[in-house]
Amino acid sequence: MDKTSFTPEESLLLISKTIEETKERFKENGHILIVWGCLIFIVVSSQYVLSLVGLYKKFDIAWTNILYSIGVIYTLIYTRREVKKNMPLTVLGITVGTMGWVVGLNFFILAVFFGNQLGNALAPIFLILFAFFLIMIGVLIKFKPIAIGGFILNLIGFATFLVHPNYYGLSLMLGAVVGFIIPGILLNITRRKDNV
Amino acid sequence: MFKDLDPILHSQLRLSIVSILMTVDEANFSFIKESTNAAAGNISIQIKKLQKAGYIKVEKSFKNNYPNTSISITRKGIKAFEDYVNNLKKYIEPK
Repeated sequence: MDKTSFTPEESLLLISKTIEETKERFKENGHILIVWGCLIFIVVSSQYVLSLVGLYKKFDIAWTNILYSIGVIYTLIYTRREVKKNMPLTVLGITVGTMGWVVGLNFFILAVFFGNQLGNALAPIFLILFAFFLIMIGVLIKFKPIAIGGFILNLIGFATFLVHPNYYGLSLMLGAVVGFIIPGILLNITRRKDNV
Repeated sequence: MFKDLDPILHSQLRLSIVSILMTVDEANFSFIKESTNAAAGNISIQIKKLQKAGYIKVEKSFKNNYPNTSISITRKGIKAFEDYVNNLKKYIEPK
């Protein structure tokens, strides 16, 4: 592959083909979005089940911490595996990755250190914080369903302030489905179609 | 044959390497090898030529105890690529 007698047309074709193939290799596939959406859904729904059987106060914090820790460990392993695939550095990749960790870390600090002060308000704050993250991702990777999902999540977040705290769990579950799982699945389907 | 075209870039493998580097901020040797499907020795030779021309920057380090070669395009490389594409257009759409 070191031909030098190729035509300008062939040359332009080579450039556009290489750029297109390179972009294709590091496109997001929505996997992490689906994982976190399912995780939030499982955590909140299981808390509801725990409250029904009267074990909520005993196990909710431990259960939540175990599940979210599994999510963080899984995300770390997944990210590390992607790095090992020799994925190149891109401004977009760095921005999305950094934003994800910053938003996640901020929510962790809010929940652990300011949970008592914030009380029930933690649920809508969580939704608004992640809505911002999802809107930004949707705009950056030019995938409308994620931006729309983030926008709806943002609305759910503010609407949550208006309902009784008993329904905050429902808001979180709805947010997980609308903001994370559905856009994640749509992105995954789109990427699979692109690779056919 | 095509006088205005930069001879450094007017080679399939070198052009592929520069096109990849125009898309990303930094890529390692393995990524370039996988993307171009070229032999490691051939890539090394072309990378050296591009580096000598000042079009790319090569940094060697260790990642998880393994040698890692990071390659990125320089300002001079970007300018050369842009000029090359503009010259190509002149050939395709002559006035």
